[in-house]
Amino acid sequence: MPAFLLRIVLTSLFLVVFCDGHSTEQSFTIAVIPKGTTHEFWKSINAGAVKAQQELTAGGTKIDLIWKGPLREDDRDQQIQVVENFMTRRVSAIVLAPLDSKALVRPVHTAVQAKVPVVIMDSDLKSDEYVSFVATDNYKGGQLAGEDMGKLLGGKGNVILLRYQVGSASTEAREAGFLDALKAKYPDIKVISSDQHAGATRELAYQASQNVLNRYGREANGVFCPCEPPTIAMTKALRDLGLAGGKVKMIGFDAGSQSVTDMKNGDVQALVVQNPLLMGYLGVITAVKYLKGEKVEKRIDTGVVLVTPENMNQPEIKELLYPPLDKYLK
Amino acid sequence: MCSEADETRWPPFKWRGLALLKPPVNSHSDASSRRSATSRKLINLLGPFLGLLLVISLFSLSPSVRPYFLTGANFKIILTQTVIVGVGTLGMTIIIISGGIDLSVGSVVALTSVVGATALVKGCSAWVAGSLAIGVGAAIGLINGLIIGGLRMMPFIVTLGMMGVARGTAKWLSGNQTVSSPESPLNNIMELKEPMRLLPLPLGVWVALALAVAMSIVLRNTVFGRYIFAIGSNEAAAKLCGIRVQFQKGIIYTVAGIFFGLAGLMQLSRLTQGDPTVAIGLELDVIAAVVIGGASLSGGTGTILGSMIGALTMAVLRNGSNQMGWPTYMQEIIIGIVIMIAVGVDKLRQGGLRGRNG
Repeated sequence: MPAFLLRIVLTSLFLVVFCDGHSTEQSFTIAVIPKGTTHEFWKSINAGAVKAQQELTAGGTKIDLIWKGPLREDDRDQQIQVVENFMTRRVSAIVLAPLDSKALVRPVHTAVQAKVPVVIMDSDLKSDEYVSFVATDNYKGGQLAGEDMGKLLGGKGNVILLRYQVGSASTEAREAGFLDALKAKYPDIKVISSDQHAGATRELAYQASQNVLNRYGREANGVFCPCEPPTIAMTKALRDLGLAGGKVKMIGFDAGSQSVTDMKNGDVQALVVQNPLLMGYLGVITAVKYLKGEKVEKRIDTGVVLVTPENMNQPEIKELLYPPLDKYLK
Repeated sequence: MCSEADETRWPPFKWRGLALLKPPVNSHSDASSRRSATSRKLINLLGPFLGLLLVISLFSLSPSVRPYFLTGANFKIILTQTVIVGVGTLGMTIIIISGGIDLSVGSVVALTSVVGATALVKGCSAWVAGSLAIGVGAAIGLINGLIIGGLRMMPFIVTLGMMGVARGTAKWLSGNQTVSSPESPLNNIMELKEPMRLLPLPLGVWVALALAVAMSIVLRNTVFGRYIFAIGSNEAAAKLCGIRVQFQKGIIYTVAGIFFGLAGLMQLSRLTQGDPTVAIGLELDVIAAVVIGGASLSGGTGTILGSMIGALTMAVLRNGSNQMGWPTYMQEIIIGIVIMIAVGVDKLRQGGLRGRNG
């Protein structure tokens, strides 16, 4: 028995020495912290991060990827805890999608003090201590939606804006872009409701949609929702009332598989689509670049496209609508 | 205290741990029953510590996590993350010992954080804003206590109602928005300075510790403290002994409300904003901490120390599972299981001892 144990010890020692001898290449632990983990959007980000990990590992830089959302989604305090816990875990870098542009400022400050660099993705942070901000130009995305709404309605009519959540910088920028574009180019379009927030889950968004439509549904000609849960929920609510299918023009944001199906069926007239896969990918790549001492841009735009039933079958759009998640997430 | 005669009757010292689990059935002498009383006290005191140590050693097993997990810097973070639940626990412990429950903690924390932030925005000084927040917490506690004591209603239902009232008021007061608080000393109570070292701990941690010590003394050594236990053990008997039960209940919920208000202030400091949607479900964390700490939901037992350890255990679990890279759902499952085990062990321990020793 002791001989057997000895052999194990020797083997593991040998392995340790062996591995050490060959690990001349660099190795980093990157923690990626999304806002939540259940929406498809975050799965695409996860896939992008894994893609970056695979490419970097193939290129000789070993990456340990930790993917960890807050325990309760949309709970700022929980996300702060996750950031703090990874800071003391001494990860090489953190890639963070902050739930709040202000509440996360101090944890990021503390992490930077502890020499853990932070790359921000998706949503802005009111701080300049981060390495880089990798995100969609959300304001531009909102403008695209506003311009398309103007075209769809022929420059006049009533529209509803169902906002997402208070304090979420990315969706607030989209909402502002949408309203500004309408105001600048289509002054005859009236925004009849823009003060309702959908909330974080599909169920809450569905209730909010029903309530808004109950009040304004008869007068509305168009609706804009600034992200995945309200888009899906609003489309469902429109269908319930028999207003879907183009009677009320529906423009949404993000390519959730349900939204894409809704567009195929004609219930959604346009979707503003980001590239979350690229965002997750560039988030990790940028962090590693910075760790290696290379220069990185302070702001990296990951692009935004307006997808309509007409262009949804083009190959490059198709890849956005059906991101190859299975290739990276098992 | 231990005489020779006792040593012969009992197993030698090193076996005492075992002996505690199986005390001799027919030992009726004064000394041994006193001994078993102290040992029971010892077990009750150590129980929650064992859970905490178990959890800490669980995470220390992993060689990739240990060098970061067992550091002063990490425990500074864990302590800071425990403060809000910990301060809430102080209030919840006295409520649960008195046989009650309070489900409105999370909402009160949200409301008082909004009140504090709004006061700061309106130009109040940090002291005024802080007192206002704590005052609102106390006022809600007083209302709870008055309804529960005065109208003799079930605490579960009253505080369930208050949960909605306080949450709604928070949203109303803040206009459904987060209220950014301007720079003020309040924002620094929970600030982590020098993140790579254990000290200095944030002020909030010291405040929580000091209050815990104070509450322990109040519970053990004051008339009010003993009344709480009396009411929780047997309300009818307490009343017959001349305790003004309903009046005391009012005080208990008000004192607890002060702690919940303070927890809200800590939350405000941590987020640097008043957030009407924060701390949803916090009440369950707080109740779990008290229960892990050895208190019984049927009242009459519980300690401040145990509850604080319970709160710490949950923070360690969360911190450790983050660092192990466990997925979120595993974390939820594990915390759930730990709560059940903690309560189960507690039940076994008490049941076993009581069954044999009468």
